[in-house]
This record gives sequence, structure tokens and C-alpha cells, in this order.
Amino acid sequence: MKNNSTIQQFNNSTSSEIAIKVENVSKKYCKSLRGSMLYGMKDIARNSLGLSSNSHILRKDEFWAVDDVSFEVKKGETLGIIGANGAGKTTILKMLNGIFWPDKGKITIKGRVGALIAVGAGFHPMLTGRENIYLNGAILGMSRKEVNKKFGAIVEFADIGDFLDTPVKFYSSGMFVRLGFSIAVHCELDILLVDEVLAVGDLSFQNKSLRRLAELREKANAVVFVSHNLEHVRNLCDRVMVLDKAKIVFSGDTNEALSEYHERTREKKLIVIKNRKAFHSALHQSSGDIIFGDTGISDESGNRTEKIRLGETLTTFFEFETTKKLEELFFTIGIRDERNYNCIVHISDYADKIKFRNISKGKYRLIVKFITPNLVPGLYFPVIAIRNGVTNETYERIFDLKPFIIEGNILPRGIVYTESEWKLCPISERD
Amino acid sequence: MNKIVTYEPDNSIKKGYISLWKEIIWELKHNKWLTLQLFKRDFSSIYKQSLMGVFWAFIVPLISVGTFIILNRSGIFEFGEIEVPYPIYAILGMAFWQVFSTGLITTSISLVKAGSMLVKINFSKKSLVIASAAQSLIPFIVQMILVGVLFVVYQVSPSIKILFFPFFMIPIIFLTLGLGFILSLSNSVVRDISSALSVFMTFFMFLTPVLYAKPKIGALAPLTKFNPIYYLISIPRELILKGTISEWKGYLLSVGFSFIVFGVGLVLFHLTETRITERI
Repeated sequence: MKNNSTIQQFNNSTSSEIAIKVENVSKKYCKSLRGSMLYGMKDIARNSLGLSSNSHILRKDEFWAVDDVSFEVKKGETLGIIGANGAGKTTILKMLNGIFWPDKGKITIKGRVGALIAVGAGFHPMLTGRENIYLNGAILGMSRKEVNKKFGAIVEFADIGDFLDTPVKFYSSGMFVRLGFSIAVHCELDILLVDEVLAVGDLSFQNKSLRRLAELREKANAVVFVSHNLEHVRNLCDRVMVLDKAKIVFSGDTNEALSEYHERTREKKLIVIKNRKAFHSALHQSSGDIIFGDTGISDESGNRTEKIRLGETLTTFFEFETTKKLEELFFTIGIRDERNYNCIVHISDYADKIKFRNISKGKYRLIVKFITPNLVPGLYFPVIAIRNGVTNETYERIFDLKPFIIEGNILPRGIVYTESEWKLCPISERD
Repeated sequence: MNKIVTYEPDNSIKKGYISLWKEIIWELKHNKWLTLQLFKRDFSSIYKQSLMGVFWAFIVPLISVGTFIILNRSGIFEFGEIEVPYPIYAILGMAFWQVFSTGLITTSISLVKAGSMLVKINFSKKSLVIASAAQSLIPFIVQMILVGVLFVVYQVSPSIKILFFPFFMIPIIFLTLGLGFILSLSNSVVRDISSALSVFMTFFMFLTPVLYAKPKIGALAPLTKFNPIYYLISIPRELILKGTISEWKGYLLSVGFSFIVFGVGLVLFHLTETRITERI
């Protein structure tokens, strides 16, 4: 492994417990290729002359991909990093790995870093599995002795059978990644960086990988784990950092971090949908007899809102104007989730036995309360249809009304949240 | 005691030139095996799926030298004063020349070719450049075998000082590496470099007395006098063919030049290699 390193010893005893220390680190990227080229030449020229590249200043078209990030990973700790695509997770890992240097700040790492970042990168298709084990091992920083020692274990773990002496270009994609993963997890390391590689192979290989990862975590001084699989993050990490737009927005307890992340994701989606100007015409069908106005939800004291908390009563309102007298009408109102699943559907003249039937020309506000809906936290959309109860003509059908958020600290899985009681008891033969 | 590594902007500059060299030497030593593995990889990728394999190394010089012989016989081209059979002289020259030219062309694209791997794995990029420069030694060895065959065919015996010639190869290898470090860096920022290089190399070969004797008059005469490649090729060649060295001064200056280029290239590469990763 390449090390542009200062080799020194820690003097004070408190820092010896810290495996990774990141102090006010920033990294910038350039948006345009031409700019990148010119800046590249300039920086190289400056560095070559022994001048600083003044990397702390943003030039035109440059932006911070990681902005003033500080954290520490203690010995024996697993730190998770989550965040939307482009939040800067992978850039942080690459800086910890020494592939990129920070443009501001300082990273201090104690021990040999091993990365499970891109398995199989560096394989040569023309070389056999055996040759690639040596090549890839060398690229990942293993010595000849180390590869020789681990060769058997690598082959066994990868489970490639008779294909060991076949060029890897004839491997199935599964065999290819299995071999890559196997080499990577057999490196000697003190600090392990993992980026989204656990979704490799079939279930039995995934389980084997997870077991191996657990062994590595046991041996490693510290682990930094980046993943979109929040289930993995929840189970594997002691502490989680949430990144948003290049900055740390939360750092701490894993469960709190996850709910913070979910909340941010929901709010972002809400903003995106609210700013969307053109609607799909299929989502709004109208006979022209009804003109829809404002719709939304309100909180328990009647004020308009976009968010309610899990377990609270949901009050929806719909304003509309009829252009003529309408007879025999009934309402169908539903709440849809992001997957377009109708979580709640109410029909006014059916279960609710409410008859509005005939209304004259004019403006109306329909208010519907859903008492403690208990929907899991997420983004929801009210939908409404107004039909004739005798002819079943549709006056109006709208699926893209203003969305709202249900907030809560539980995982957004399933549809409905209920409190529960658990019991596990052995069944004895006698009973 | 675990090793402490720090990453900061302008990491290397802050440390000063002496520790810079220490770092470079440590890195080169530490990555010998990696360099060998990368060399094997490049070798396989060129020759494994090829019917003729290394025999291509025979064909290229035979064709160029054959062309020159035809030109000469037709009275279009004068070789100048050459005391040994022309094919031996020319192929020997070509063998030395291609260490430089092939070496430079392969090193200049080495970083770009490794592209995605560089941004995924942290490994010694110097090994990558050295391994690709070393590729040119394979055709060189093959061509030296061809020269050996020609010695037998023409019943010419080389000087006993042929034993020293590997030592005289070092400067041209160092020059190739030094320029290779600089060009591979530049090419990963601006891709024009490698395209320009292949064009320039052909042109440069005709300007250097590889396939003809050193011109005594005309525009090329003074140019040759200041062409380090000329000395780096003609001195080992002279040593093999005649066992003498006639242009010591020019050779030593060229050797000095090679070592300076090597040193400067290596330091530049070391100072800027992580910057390059971002631009690839």
C-alpha cells in the first residue's frame, strides 16, 4: 500500500484509543471537465514548484463535496455513514483510504487500512483466477508471503471450484465478484472500510460474507461502514453519522440517526413533489362539473399543516365548486402511500353511511377526519373521487393532491403500526 | 506499534525534499512485488490472446530495416559510413531505440488505462508506470536474439565488451522512466499528450541516427550533437560492435541528463500523483 505518510508516534495516552481522527476535513470537486483539466494543470504546476495549491479556496465551477467534516472512530468501534446519493459518503471513504487527499483539514489514521470498496477492481480478464489472486492481492497491499499463506483460504471462500485456472473473463458475474470479495476480506488490516459490497452473490454467499465481516470487525481496530441497506447499518454499527449535502447533520446513536435520516428523506421528497409543476394528466380526470380548489390536512386545532405525528388524528379537507346542481353524488376518499398503495379507503355512502346526495351550485368544503390512522411514518397522498350513486358517472377523480408527512421514530416498514406484546415459550412434551 | 498516517493538503510539500526521497525509496522498495505482478499482467494482456506473441518483436524491426535497405538499393537514401553489415547496425539501433520509444508510449497511457482502478484502490502508482516501461524490455530481448542470429549469419563477432552493455542500458531506461513519469501525469490531465507522442516519436526516430550513421554535414549534424538519445543509443551500439567508446563526453553528459530527468520526474510524480487521481 502506498503511504505518503508521516511516521510518528502518538505522545499522549488518550489519543491512543482513537483509530481514525478526522479534523475539519473538506474536499472539493469540479463540475466541468475543462475546468478540471485547467485546474489540474495549475495545481500540478504549483505543487511541482513546491508551492501550495491553495486548495482551501473554491474556484469557478468548483463545489465542496465534503464540507468541514470532523469525527473520530475509537478502537473497537463500528461507525456507519448514511446519506442520500451524492451526500459525500464515498468521498469520505476514499479520503480515509488515501486515494484522495483532503483540500482542507487533516486526517490521522492509526494502522493498516483495508477497503472493501470495489471488489474485483483490478482484475485482469485475460488472467486466470489463480493469477488474479496474486495480482489483486498485490494491488490490495499484500506481500507475496501473505498471498501464499492465504491462497487456500481465498479459493475456498470464493468457492470457484474447477475454474481456478480459467481466465476470469469466462467467469459468471457471481463467481467474479465472489473471488474479488474473497481476496479483499483476506487482507491483514487494522482499519476496515466497507462500501456497499455486501449485496454480493446468493443468500448463502451473503451469509458467509456477513459472518466473515463479523470476524473482521472482531479483529479490526475500527470499521467505517457505508451502506444504503439500513437494516445492515442498524445491526452492524455502534454509531451512525448522517450526511446531507456534504455536511454532517447528525452523529450519534444508531436508531436516532436512522429516524433522523428517514425524516430528512421524507422532507426532501415532499419538497420535490411540491415543486413539481407539471402533473400527469392521468392523475386528474374531470367532467368539468366540479372545479377543485384548495386541499390539504390540518392538525388537531384546525390549523393547516403538512405533517402530523404517528397516532394523531388525520384531518383532511377538500374545497371545490360545483358549476351546476349535482344529484345522487357520493365521495370516495383514500390515503395512498409512496408505493401507490391505497392504505385507507372510505366511501361516503357505504361503510360510513353518510348521504350527501344532492347539492346545489356553489362552493363547498368537505372535511374528513381519520381517527388515529396509525400509518407508519412516511409520505402520503390523499386521493378523492366524486361520483353519481345512481348512474355511477364520475364527476371528478384526483390522485395527485398535496402530499403530507406522518412523522415518527419507528422504522417505516409495513403499512400500519400497532403496539405489540411478544412472548416466546418452549412447548414441552407433556402439555 | 501501529503506524500513524496523516493526510493533509499539500502533504508532501510540507515535509521537505529529504524525507520526500526517503518516502519514495521506501515506496519503491516496498512495492517491488506489486511492480512485478503488474508487469506480468501487462505482459499477459499483450501476448496471451495473440497467435504470434513476442514474434511481433521480430517483425517490426525487420520491416523497417528492410524498407531502408530497399530505399538504399534504389539510391534514394544514403546510410553514411557504417563499418559493420547494415542489418546488424540497424536492428541493434532499433532495439535500443524502441526501449525508449515503446517505453515512453506505454508509460504515457499507463495511468489513464488504469483509470477506474486508481480511484477505487490505493496502491503505488509508481509501480504502474515502472511496470509499463518495463514492457519495452521484452521486444528488446527478442531483438537482441535476432541480432545474435545476424552475427552468426554475417559471420561477424561482437566485441568481448558486449558483456558490459547491460550496464550501458541503465541511462536510457532511467531517461525513459523519468520522462514516462512526467508524461503519464500530463496525459491523465490532458489526453492530447499520448496522441501527440506517437506522432512525435516517429518523427524523432528519423531525426536520430538510429538507422543511419551520424551525419557529418548538413542540418542534422549539429542537432545530433545535442541529442542525448543519440549518445545513449550509439555508445552501447559502438561498444557491442567495436568495443570502443568514441564520444565519452557526449555520453557522460547524456547520462547526467538522464539521471536528472529521472530524479525530477520521480519527484514531480510523487508530489502530484494524488492530484492526478482526482482528474482521471
